[in-house]
Amino acid sequence: MTMVPTAMKVRGVSRTYRDGTRTVTALEGADIDILDGKFVSIVGPSACGKSTLLNLFCGLDKPDAGSIEAPVLGDGKLLGRVGYMPQQDTLMPWRTVTDNAAVGLECLGSSREAARQRARELMERFGLSGFEHSYPGQLSGGMRQRVAMLRTFLCGRKINLLDEPFGKLDAITRASMQAWLLDYWQENRCTIVFVTHDIDEALFLSDVVHLMSPRPGRIILSLEVDVPRPRKYGEVVTSVHFNELKARLLQSLGRQA
Amino acid sequence: MKSGIWPPLLLGAGIIAAWEIYVRAAGIDPLLLPPPSAVASYLVENTRMMASNGAATLEELLVGFVCGAVIGLSLGILMQVWHWFREAAYPWLVATQMVPIPAVAPILVLWFGFTIVPKAATVALMCFFPVAVNTVDGLSSVNPELIRLLRTFGAGPWHVMWKAALPSALPRIFSGLRVAMALSVVGAVVGEWVGSTHGLGYLMLHFENRGETAGLFATVAVLTVMGIILFFLVGWVENWAISWRRYAKETL
Repeated sequence: MTMVPTAMKVRGVSRTYRDGTRTVTALEGADIDILDGKFVSIVGPSACGKSTLLNLFCGLDKPDAGSIEAPVLGDGKLLGRVGYMPQQDTLMPWRTVTDNAAVGLECLGSSREAARQRARELMERFGLSGFEHSYPGQLSGGMRQRVAMLRTFLCGRKINLLDEPFGKLDAITRASMQAWLLDYWQENRCTIVFVTHDIDEALFLSDVVHLMSPRPGRIILSLEVDVPRPRKYGEVVTSVHFNELKARLLQSLGRQA
Repeated sequence: MKSGIWPPLLLGAGIIAAWEIYVRAAGIDPLLLPPPSAVASYLVENTRMMASNGAATLEELLVGFVCGAVIGLSLGILMQVWHWFREAAYPWLVATQMVPIPAVAPILVLWFGFTIVPKAATVALMCFFPVAVNTVDGLSSVNPELIRLLRTFGAGPWHVMWKAALPSALPRIFSGLRVAMALSVVGAVVGEWVGSTHGLGYLMLHFENRGETAGLFATVAVLTVMGIILFFLVGWVENWAISWRRYAKETL
């Protein structure tokens, strides 16, 4: 077996911030290794520091203690080099679907027309054909999420962080988006760090599920999901093995609570 | 949907009709209150004079409005970019609005003479403030999540301003521009009152001194129509510039 390079290496990371008069310790001594090209989930209860961790991963925030490195990216700061899809879709209502998708490339220095062209090429793959000139206000929640995802993936980053991308979608839309995302990832391998509080979603999608404790957040379990791909939702989530894995996650969570 | 231009026109016609009837029935001295018909006939007889003076006022007003808008927008952007500048400048900007314009205008005439400059400056002085305040408010209301996202794309402050803050501030900026346009009509007239040889404000003084009340009312009517048209023109540009707004169900 060849050694898979490490995409992201987190050692002893702590982060405390002030919330009014209180000091909140969001992370304390968090360690994670994320291997290159893997689909990895970070699961944990609400307010366990998942979003804080993502902010550190994409360089928007700095840890108080510990280190975060991205060996696959080489040296240098993380900000501007790690793909990020925030929890809110943050589409700009004054831009069309195409122009919203293109904004990342524009910021990275592409000309507006070149960025648009790249976005148009992927419209069909993202199920947005025919909506190129629509405004976000005219789209359903699922479609808005696709636009936001296209905007992130269009930058072609090696590491992409997705913060609860399907959290606000209804169950049916959500299932189809999950299947779609897996397909897309299998065609275009990159490292995906997927944050969710839905254990089923995390297990179905991921190679590895990292479980976080309640605040102050740490990684308390890193569970390898050895379910072969391609995965079919109906088969996977009803299998005995899947439920064993789920039981282990729930047990670890229960011990913390 | 809007029921169009008819309701305000009908209401206006009703008021004018009532005015005409009242003046005639009560036998009011036309020097105190001329009937609308007298004002209208004055307008018809003096169309050319009204037009040339109206054009002079319009020119002062537009020059002043554009200068005021540009200054207001620039100040707003600078105050958003440099926090220290905002802290330092804001009270002084408020102070400029506390100074009575009629007190300042004569000094401007002293400096610049009977040219367009003092009038345009008066207009600009009144216009820049609502634009600056609304620009600052609009720029600071941009969704912080959007800024964070753009920064992960490597966006610098310039990209953030141009791609996120300014577009999301546009509705507020246009609110400021509409207020500024309404104020600029007053500004131009006040500027002319202090020192001018033509323009609608000059005409008003002229008619007042001679007791030509019908002429005075006619001048006010021309000024009013001009102001209304300009105000709605700003709204029209706004609808064109923010055409996406009709699709934006939620604010970002």
